[in-house]
Amino acid sequence: MAEPTLIEQLDRAVETLLTRRDSPPPAADPEVTALLRLAADLRDLPREEFKQQLKSDLERKAAMTTTTATHEGVQTVTPYLVVERLEEFLAFLGQAFGAEETLRAPGSAGGTHVELRLDDSTFMAGSAPGAPGSPIAMHLYVPDADAVYRRALAAGATPFYEPMDQPYGDREAGVRDGHGNTWYIATHKATGHRPRGLRAVTPTLHARGADSLLDFLKRGLGGEEEVCERSPEGAVRHASVRFADSVVEVGEARGPIEPTAGMLLLAVPDVDAAYERALAAGGISLEAPADQRYGARRAGVKDSHGNSWYFSAPLKGVRP
Amino acid sequence: MTTLKSEAGERQLIEAAQKDPRRFGGLYEQNFERVYAFIAGRVRDRGVAEDLTSTVFHRALESLPRFEWRGVPFAAWLLRIARNAVADHWQRAAREQGSAGPEPTEDEVNLEEIERRATLFRLVDTLPADQRRVVVERFVEQRSLREIARALGRSEGAVKQLQFRALENLRARMSETHG
Repeated sequence: MAEPTLIEQLDRAVETLLTRRDSPPPAADPEVTALLRLAADLRDLPREEFKQQLKSDLERKAAMTTTTATHEGVQTVTPYLVVERLEEFLAFLGQAFGAEETLRAPGSAGGTHVELRLDDSTFMAGSAPGAPGSPIAMHLYVPDADAVYRRALAAGATPFYEPMDQPYGDREAGVRDGHGNTWYIATHKATGHRPRGLRAVTPTLHARGADSLLDFLKRGLGGEEEVCERSPEGAVRHASVRFADSVVEVGEARGPIEPTAGMLLLAVPDVDAAYERALAAGGISLEAPADQRYGARRAGVKDSHGNSWYFSAPLKGVRP
Repeated sequence: MTTLKSEAGERQLIEAAQKDPRRFGGLYEQNFERVYAFIAGRVRDRGVAEDLTSTVFHRALESLPRFEWRGVPFAAWLLRIARNAVADHWQRAAREQGSAGPEPTEDEVNLEEIERRATLFRLVDTLPADQRRVVVERFVEQRSLREIARALGRSEGAVKQLQFRALENLRARMSETHG
């Protein structure tokens, strides 16, 4: 039986092939020679992990070009919700709010990165092994706050406060999602949906000593204060800070309102300049500006209240 | 001239991706092995081959809106980008080392050879799991027989046999697809 010899012959030849790349060894048996030709080509076999990684980099880049290319999709501030139980969280977002998953890719810190769409707004969610959550409050404008409130409870949320008519003209309720986040669900009664200039989804940050956070948003991040209502004692009850097409809301954390430590992406024209400005205003570096494989330049800072801000700009393409 | 098959539906794939870049994935899946095979045949270092392959697809995604369908397969367009990327790489390497690069400037693209190697790479995925694993560990990871045997909990003799069967299977499947 000749086969064991062939198997041995082939293995010796493969060994030589792998250790001395430039000199294919002569093999006596024509059968072995034919197999050896394939073996020589297999030295260039691509890594499966590389193929998948590049694919997801391209998908993220494509998603970025799409959102920056269409006016409707331009969104300067994007909340990024980091949770421990991502699949459960996504199921909740779908059931409670009808959020639609538009992209799923491996995250840059391992784990999974997901992009979601809700009405006119994009937000992101992700998990990474060992990554702490990023508790934030999300202010939603929906056509029927009462119905969405009921759906959220049915999907597992716990009530924070029941739907009520607010003095500022909103029917509004609050729920907590079991992943550390609070959701304000509102309908602007005058318009039947949302007030002019606001998106369906607006991130809200609560801080103890909200004045210093408000100051960082303006001085460190370049936001413009639009509204700032204060309590009789002077605490920030509700402020909104505009970043081009998006708004971030700020309020004092007190009583049942817990401070947030959210994560937000800020689309900027110049990542390096935004990073320097944020550091100068007291931000702490999370990551220095660097080019990312998915086609963006990115940098990160943390404010003194524990919220993370990531600046991002698409890389200018090199033409073939 | 070209032996690359103009696959049915390629034009639709291109037009879909031009309208919505998120549809680029289909073109990527169809052409990844070709581009990689071309580049890996010209640069020895795996890390460099991966960097250049990545460059090619990023450039292709950026340039796709300007791609015009003229009946030339999309792969030929990609391989032109790849050829430029490889040439840039060798020029850069030559500048850094202050010497002439090893790559000849006039470089005929042998499409038939690229297609053969790309088919081989794709066929690895059709092998039985244990044979595929031996091929990947041996040729991609460059592990010794002993290491592979230990990782698989098999004898070295068994691993040698899996290696042989894998290559035999690949040869048989190659002759089915490539005649």
